[in-house]
Amino acid sequence: MDNKILIGGLIVAIIIAILAPFLASSNPDGLESTAEKIINEDALHKNLQALGLEEEGTVAPSPMPDYSIEGMGKVGEVIAMIVGTLIMLALAYGVAIVLKKPSSN
Amino acid sequence: MHIPDGFLPIWESILFWIISLIFVAKSIMWAKNNLDEKSVPLFAALAAGIFAIQAMNMPIPWGTSGHMVGSALTAIIFDSPWAGVLMLTLVLIVQGLFFADGGLLAMGANIFNMGIIGGFVGYYVFKALKKSNVALASFLGGWCATFLAAIACAIELAIGGVFPLDKGLMYMGLYHAVIGIIEGVITAIVVSYLSSTKPDLVKSLSTQ
Repeated sequence: MDNKILIGGLIVAIIIAILAPFLASSNPDGLESTAEKIINEDALHKNLQALGLEEEGTVAPSPMPDYSIEGMGKVGEVIAMIVGTLIMLALAYGVAIVLKKPSSN
Repeated sequence: MHIPDGFLPIWESILFWIISLIFVAKSIMWAKNNLDEKSVPLFAALAAGIFAIQAMNMPIPWGTSGHMVGSALTAIIFDSPWAGVLMLTLVLIVQGLFFADGGLLAMGANIFNMGIIGGFVGYYVFKALKKSNVALASFLGGWCATFLAAIACAIELAIGGVFPLDKGLMYMGLYHAVIGIIEGVITAIVVSYLSSTKPDLVKSLSTQ
């Protein structure tokens, strides 16, 4: 029963992960759209300079930025999503196993 | 609404890391006292599902898109806002470390908005309304979680001087009032489905 939940959930997640690169809207999200309209460029520039970044993003390089693999197009996006889903499952399972309350027996 | 690095001044990023770490520590305590062994597979499966669905941006009007967050759903299923905090912390770590989705310095603020605000608002809205109608309570829990997380995000960016407060609240509020419908509908579908097929899994419905 417990394994059924894990496998069932993983199957649903993998299906979504495979479909997402094809179905997801490429429009900017709510925060990005807001930023395009109203961001204070001076303040942004000052923050970026303090961090040594050229544009907003993250201070550490990521292996698969924007859920893609360079030069691999849609295939790379599908692989990135599947890898991400498996990493997520493993991390959540590992953390939950370590943190769960001690069993009574 | 993942804040990238560069949007917040460094001092504000650190401040929100400190605030969020206190909540994350409490969420770890929750797991140690409440997360039973039987729930581990459900927690992991839900994490995988939330990670995947977060990448599924859906179009909304004004050339914009939005996606599910999932802290309200997690909090409802595990009958605790702390479950939502822990879940979103893990999801944001994977997104930030591997996919450059949300900055690493800004992660504290993202945990605060999507995990803490989302988890607590979603949970208590659901709890207040669940006796009248479970699906409606789930929908409104999800909607309020997304909307208020976005309002918090706008306020943080205004404090940092990157957004003007009035326009930030207006645009973030407007977009996420619509994006919240996505959150609400998916939360309602999953909670309704689980409560009809596997009622013992939805802990906030099996306990009083």
